[in-house]
Amino acid sequence: MPIWSSLPFFLLLSVVSTLASSPSFENTAVVRTVELGGAVVHVTTTYAIKALEDGSNVYTIAFSPDERKKTSWLEAKIKGQQNALPIEERLFDAERDYHFVDITLPKALSANKTTNLVVETILTHATHPWPETAGQKDDQALKYTTDLFVLSPYSTTVQRTKLRTLAPRIISFTEPKGVEDFATEGSASKSGATIVYGPFHNLPPSATQKFIKTYQQPMTIHYFHDQPVLEILELKRAVEISHWGANVNTEDEITMHNAGPALKGHFSRLDHQTQQFYKKPAPHVLPAINLHLPAGIRDTYFYDLIGNVSTSRLRVAPSLPKNKQGSQYSLLELRPRYPLLGGWNYTFTLGWNAPAADSISYDKSTGRYIVEVPIMTLFPGAVINDAEVKVILPEGATDVEFSPPFPALENRISTHITYLDTSGRPALTFEYKDLTLKHAQNIYVSYKVSFAAHLKKPFAVATAFFSVFGFALIARRVNLTIHPKKKAL
Amino acid sequence: MTTAYPLPSNLSPATVANTASLLRIVALALISGAAIASRLFAVINFESIIHEFDPWFNYRATRVLASQGFYEFWNWFDPTAWYPLGRVVGGTVYPGLMATSGVIYNFLHALNLPVDIRNVCVLLAPGFSALTAWATYMFTKEMKDESAGLLAAAFIGIVPGYISRSVAGSYDNEAIAIFLLMFTFYCWIKALKQGSALFGTIAAIFYFYMVAAWGGYVFITNMIPLHALVLILMGRFSSRLYVGYSSWYAIGTLASMQVPFVGFQPVKTSEHMGALAVFGLLQIVAFGQLVRSHVSSAQFQKLLYASVVATGILGTAVFGLLTYKGWIAPWTGRFYSLWDTGYAKKYIPIIASVSEHQPTAWPSFFMDLQFLIFLFPAGVILCFRELRDEHIFVIIYAVMASYFAGVMVRLMLTLTPVVCVASAVALSTLLDTYIDPKEPDTGDDTKSESEATVVSASGTNGSSFSATPTPTPSKKIKKAAAAAAAPLPTSGIISDLVAATGGPTRRGEPIKTKGIFGMDSRLIVIMHTLAMLSFFVFHCTWVTSNAYSSPSVVLASTNQDGSQHIIDDFREAYYWLRQNTPEDAVVMSWWDYGYQIAGMADRPTLVDNNTWNNTHIATVGKAMSSTEENAYPILRKHDVDYVLVIFGGLIGYSGDDINKFLWMVRIAQGVWPDEIQEPNYFTPQGEYRIDDMASQTMKNSLMYKMSYYRFAELFGGNQAMDRVRQQQVPKVGPTLDYLDEAFTSENWIVRIYQVKKEDLLGRDLKSANAFGQGKKRKRTKPVPRRRAIV
Repeated sequence: MPIWSSLPFFLLLSVVSTLASSPSFENTAVVRTVELGGAVVHVTTTYAIKALEDGSNVYTIAFSPDERKKTSWLEAKIKGQQNALPIEERLFDAERDYHFVDITLPKALSANKTTNLVVETILTHATHPWPETAGQKDDQALKYTTDLFVLSPYSTTVQRTKLRTLAPRIISFTEPKGVEDFATEGSASKSGATIVYGPFHNLPPSATQKFIKTYQQPMTIHYFHDQPVLEILELKRAVEISHWGANVNTEDEITMHNAGPALKGHFSRLDHQTQQFYKKPAPHVLPAINLHLPAGIRDTYFYDLIGNVSTSRLRVAPSLPKNKQGSQYSLLELRPRYPLLGGWNYTFTLGWNAPAADSISYDKSTGRYIVEVPIMTLFPGAVINDAEVKVILPEGATDVEFSPPFPALENRISTHITYLDTSGRPALTFEYKDLTLKHAQNIYVSYKVSFAAHLKKPFAVATAFFSVFGFALIARRVNLTIHPKKKAL
Repeated sequence: MTTAYPLPSNLSPATVANTASLLRIVALALISGAAIASRLFAVINFESIIHEFDPWFNYRATRVLASQGFYEFWNWFDPTAWYPLGRVVGGTVYPGLMATSGVIYNFLHALNLPVDIRNVCVLLAPGFSALTAWATYMFTKEMKDESAGLLAAAFIGIVPGYISRSVAGSYDNEAIAIFLLMFTFYCWIKALKQGSALFGTIAAIFYFYMVAAWGGYVFITNMIPLHALVLILMGRFSSRLYVGYSSWYAIGTLASMQVPFVGFQPVKTSEHMGALAVFGLLQIVAFGQLVRSHVSSAQFQKLLYASVVATGILGTAVFGLLTYKGWIAPWTGRFYSLWDTGYAKKYIPIIASVSEHQPTAWPSFFMDLQFLIFLFPAGVILCFRELRDEHIFVIIYAVMASYFAGVMVRLMLTLTPVVCVASAVALSTLLDTYIDPKEPDTGDDTKSESEATVVSASGTNGSSFSATPTPTPSKKIKKAAAAAAAPLPTSGIISDLVAATGGPTRRGEPIKTKGIFGMDSRLIVIMHTLAMLSFFVFHCTWVTSNAYSSPSVVLASTNQDGSQHIIDDFREAYYWLRQNTPEDAVVMSWWDYGYQIAGMADRPTLVDNNTWNNTHIATVGKAMSSTEENAYPILRKHDVDYVLVIFGGLIGYSGDDINKFLWMVRIAQGVWPDEIQEPNYFTPQGEYRIDDMASQTMKNSLMYKMSYYRFAELFGGNQAMDRVRQQQVPKVGPTLDYLDEAFTSENWIVRIYQVKKEDLLGRDLKSANAFGQGKKRKRTKPVPRRRAIV
């Protein structure tokens, strides 16, 4: 059966399955693991599901609206498989306290068959520093709040939530209340860097207003975090492709912000230097950050509004041929002009050139160039609030097609004019929000450039020079003297 | 005719002329390239960055011009400078530099060359230095010939005296002004030689450009009239002088008044009166000539006598009256300081405090000009030898500029071009003499041979060292001779060469034994000259790379492995201010850093390098040199949020605020002699110290406290050492009650303090601080009543 004809049926089925009283699945076990970080919180939820009816292949998961808002990345997989499953968001309903997302299973399950579904989400801006200010020598503590129960339109046999912090120093966490119906022994336990809520047994379908009103409650965990909370407020990437120079230039304009606790009082260089001398840096101070740039780059530059920043170090890995696998990268130890304390900002521009062969390939059969453009440079543990990726194609590029790895909030085509251009270059702009490590993927753009378009530039330059020389040639021979002097004197 | 070395004889005059012309163009292009390249040390060693202090303001203004257009720039009122007064930038600035960059910027952008405005600004000075080399070539060509011109162009291209003001990044008015100066002079000489109103007008246009670009235009305003006056006094009045001067003065003055910053100064201030007076005198003399051609000479003598006396008395009286009435402004302080070097120190400390206003030290003449300083007098004397009108100009220029260069380091710049011109004339005469292949004949001298000598020598002019004799004088020579049109009967070049080559002298008797015999004597002199020239090149390169190419915003030191280590504290602190303080936070610092703070930190400043308001600067000086308690009201009244000081004690940066502190004290003392007294800042022995021996006033001053706050703690119990002053800092450092340390840069060069707000409970901050630290307030013992009663 072709899939397009079955789709309405399944949609209908899924709507029915959630609204009607007889669900098509039940969860034998739901385990949610929350890896607490600074700006980014990684949540993995494993659903062990059992089909109750034959031919059930749309599984629905539920989020609270708040969680959905903070989720910047959502991916579902069958456990042990590589391919992500297709996901479809239901329409948002402001009336309800839950939000459904449909996952289409790779093949329909017959009754009583089970499978394990892994849903990975990444939450951004989910933690906040507490206390909100910290002195230069103080520790950094964050608070994270989540709901106790994983919502699901299906009944659940066992459910657990694990919260894991990076450092085994947890200040406090909330004890659930009024969950005696589901929990046999203690509903919350702490061991080392992990807090476990549950197990909770025999939960009814929880994605209902009634259940949420009665049992759902916020759990807050207050923990020490040893790394600075880094936010990139704005990233503007411009990738300019030049066929004449066989070069791809990437330039990032970055606004960096330390979103940890704001600095209480003032910055003391003496204290900072003492901390560095004793190798005990304060957890919320960011003196430098290591970035992985592509291999084979050259002419790397790092400057800000008032000039070069000469404090950084770069180790360039040799260029990697296109079809060879490898994880080589150049390492940049990016050191801002001043250490970034809590609440401080730093804006800068980082750019480099890379050989075009590393990212552009030419398809002879169609005559198209295909270029892969990374959306972002990975900032470890950071979230990029607003990103704008601009891909500037060569002058005269036509038939532009592009495929982003995930849909952009907005994309547009404009004209960009730069050195020696006559008609300007087509530029694609993609806008994104809340990017994290999972979003560090490539946009693929393909285009055609005719031979004549390639010759445009030298022709324009030649014309310009010829006209200058021609003018000089004529101007030297024109005599504008009013009274021509007598030849002999 | 005997020659010292064989010469090709099968060349047509046209070939020679064309080859010479091509070689000249190539040489000029190479000189331009060398001039630009030698100024790029700063960019290569550091980066493309604006240097020092004033260029930061010019750069900021240019950005406004480039981004918002000329009219916005014209009307630009900058509320962030001289807070809270503000500054009318459009009306208090010489806009020529910014306009030039703006035009270049817009032109390049129109050609789809999106160059950064910063790079335009950084590379403007090197670019114009190439033009200066060309203008100097043209100027010197008028003095002697093309070969001297090429030498002069090469000299001005690489001479350190000019490079010091025009390295890449040194984006100051001087960057374009020297070109304008030389080109205006060239046009003036041309106008004078040809009696051309066209060249007079071109001179006036470039004079206007110069007025719009640099305050030093007054030099032109007085040089040209002085030249004209000397010519009149020498009895060399001619219609060419009249046409040239009148067209220059009339158009130039009217044009210069269009610059708002200049306005009516050309008719109201004493500095400009000379030009006006000479203009008037010229009219009288011209009228006199007219009268003389109509009346008999006896009558004319009487008439002349009477009229000269009458005009002299009348003119002086009018001038005195106008000055007395205030219509003409009397000489300004800066002008007096040109005549009396001690004047500024006594009356205007703010001018004296600038290092470039100090008298020039002798070594700096050699440093800036090297062997040119020895050739310079020789060149001037050679000018006397022929003494055409334009030679008089060089002589006057040399005398005036030498004097001014001795008075102020800064004016070395105006001396440099004339040194290059004069030295080139001297050196080229020397080379002409020794390259000339003609052997002095022991036999009879004929005219034709001397003429052949001339031609062969003139061949050397163009094609540097390949002498090419031609049987008859080439057309070029004829033209040049015609163009020279000097009042002397003999054409300039010929007589010059004849005199120089030691051939038949004009006095008649040919002295046969004089001359150069053989190749060896020629080679010795030529080799020696070439060696001098190459040493000069090495010297220039060395001076440029070591002394004049530091941006002073960025400092460099050397690591132990020899690599360069950049000390970037200024930008670190300025950028911190820019990124992490409110946009309207007012920053107080000594005026040196005002432009930099405005340019890099983009924050309002109290005072900056445009030192127009002495009282405001003195206020800052007072705040810095008072105690915290006294300074606090001043800071609060001026809405100061941050105070910035430069402190070099940790790494030995000697240009810091403690070393400038005495100037702050002096300037403050000039306005508040009752409150600030310089002697209080010295030890009783009269030493300027910062260690335990320092005077109490010094230790309590805000500047001292801010500089050494927590400095001793850095040494962890060891004796703290101030590396600039080589003194030991007291172990117990100063405490601050009214300020908070907000930021200190990596090497402690820049320290920023935040001014505390008034205590919420109305206490004074000192007791509030003491309370916060848990100190008990010392109770003053209640006065025993009994005693009081008694």
